[in-house]
Amino acid sequence: MAARRGWRLARQGRCWLSQAEFSAAPAPPDSLYPPIVASATAKSKAAKRRRLEHFHQRVHEAGSIEEKLRLYGLLQRPKYMIYPQTFAINADRWYQSFTKTVFVPGLPPRAASEPAGAPEPGGAAAGGATGLAVPKPAGAPEPGGTAEAPQPAAEAAPEVDLGELRSLACDVLLQESFYQNKKRPFLYRDQDHTPGPFLTQLISLLAASLCRSNPLLAASSLDLNPEVNYYWHNGEEVVVHGHRKGRVDPVRFQIDDHPRLQIRVPKQLPEVVPLEADLGNVPVIDHKPSKLPLFKKQYENKVFIGSKVADPCCYGHTQFHLFPDKLKRQRFLNINLEDQIEVTYRANGIASLFAWTAAQAMYQGFWSEADVTRPFVSQAVVTDGKYFAFFCYQLNTLALTVETIQNNPRKNICWGTESKPLYDVVEDGDVKGFNDEILLQLVEFLLNRPKEL
Amino acid sequence: YPLFQLGGPQLRLFRPDFFMALVRPGVPQPEDTAQFRVSMEMTKLDIKNYLEKIYNVPVVAVRTRIQHGAHNRRNHKNQRIKKPDYKVAYVQLGQGQTFQFPNLFPEKEQTPEARSFDDFKKKYIEKEQQRQRGDPRRGGVPDWFGL
Repeated sequence: MAARRGWRLARQGRCWLSQAEFSAAPAPPDSLYPPIVASATAKSKAAKRRRLEHFHQRVHEAGSIEEKLRLYGLLQRPKYMIYPQTFAINADRWYQSFTKTVFVPGLPPRAASEPAGAPEPGGAAAGGATGLAVPKPAGAPEPGGTAEAPQPAAEAAPEVDLGELRSLACDVLLQESFYQNKKRPFLYRDQDHTPGPFLTQLISLLAASLCRSNPLLAASSLDLNPEVNYYWHNGEEVVVHGHRKGRVDPVRFQIDDHPRLQIRVPKQLPEVVPLEADLGNVPVIDHKPSKLPLFKKQYENKVFIGSKVADPCCYGHTQFHLFPDKLKRQRFLNINLEDQIEVTYRANGIASLFAWTAAQAMYQGFWSEADVTRPFVSQAVVTDGKYFAFFCYQLNTLALTVETIQNNPRKNICWGTESKPLYDVVEDGDVKGFNDEILLQLVEFLLNRPKEL
Repeated sequence: YPLFQLGGPQLRLFRPDFFMALVRPGVPQPEDTAQFRVSMEMTKLDIKNYLEKIYNVPVVAVRTRIQHGAHNRRNHKNQRIKKPDYKVAYVQLGQGQTFQFPNLFPEKEQTPEARSFDDFKKKYIEKEQQRQRGDPRRGGVPDWFGL
């Protein structure tokens, strides 16, 4: 009786370990006896390794992507919750070390060559996505890696009328902040009052009007307030308290992000640099993540890009993030922390884009033991209503666990700009100091598409 | 303290009678973090103002927690003895400053005379122990045993 009850309890605690699958070890054809392997149930390191290998094999052989994701996040344990929008000091360096990301200031060269390729007549502008291979119309070779082209934006291709888009943006801004009669915002809800609706309206209208120039946008899906989640392991630590004290565990992380807007597309954006490119160093932080401070909780290990696996728009194009009131610029200036303002933008860009691109990669069947064979690229715009910062992320590797990170030279890369204001002030039905560069950058982001289109 | 309401007068203390003690962290902390044991009544804002106004230390962030003192020691009458509770504050320093708790009891450099005196002491102690043990050829049997 007692033996049967003990067996049932063991099954409940470790229901992912099935005796039947272990016993069927295939024998090589030229031997009479089954191969000698370590035990699967002993309390030994070899047995633990064999159980782990068996688990990896189960995930590799999973029938569908949903089954793979279910097995990947099956075991629930306390994990660190990473918030992309955080006011923690120097959060971007910590996030870079958790995600093995290199941060490169400035945007990649392909963004700079868009207006340069635009004056070409007709459809030649359609082939201008990957800037490294675009031939300049004037014949002068581009030195590469510099800032936006000095040619004035008004010379953009006839398909993209910047003046019209500028008036559109000003109209939306005035409508939200001047023409519409709104009551006073509730306490600490300033961002939902004006900048939130402004961003939503602006991006929806821009995306709709740029559908002509970018056929990818016509086939895209614009999500409002979607959810993006990703769960991964990175590094190892010794369990400090509890009944599992003293055991060596992987450090688990979970990102649960809620961007304001998101554009998902059916075709993937082209790669910016090759898969094995090395553009810098990843900051190494020896301390435990709880010193950031980060806190642990145990809940569902979710991997989600904003839509389920069967959705045809399974690749990411652009995300738009709006800062909450806690991260307002004025708050940082009041407590003399001007340098942390840029840190918040960078941390948001890196964490959100890593989660999104990694979740996209998992939706295609890659995971930490089956690393990506092609880079996944996505873009993001982080704003607090007035200041805009642009980020581009290339995911080159998902292998961040202790065993897989050792012989992995690949690093993820994040390009990002500093935050610049879109306008200076809105008064008397007029937008003063409108910044065309920001609008141009937004338009370029939305026009980004793969080479074939 | 009187409760603060928005728009009311801010409390100003000129000679605070609580203290802060800088301690060595039990677990390694980041370079810009200093660990203090503070009075239980202090808040994060109190700690920030205390350090900035009195000691001119730029403070960026303060996190506090209350450490429960153990209550399972027993005295000679088998009564439970409580160790006092205390509040711990982790203070992140600003302007790129770092702090490493110093080693207060470093290993002293031994002079040659001291080293040779230590050797002499060791040899003397060995000789005394050898005499106590007796002749090894007798196998531990005392020397008064015999015919």
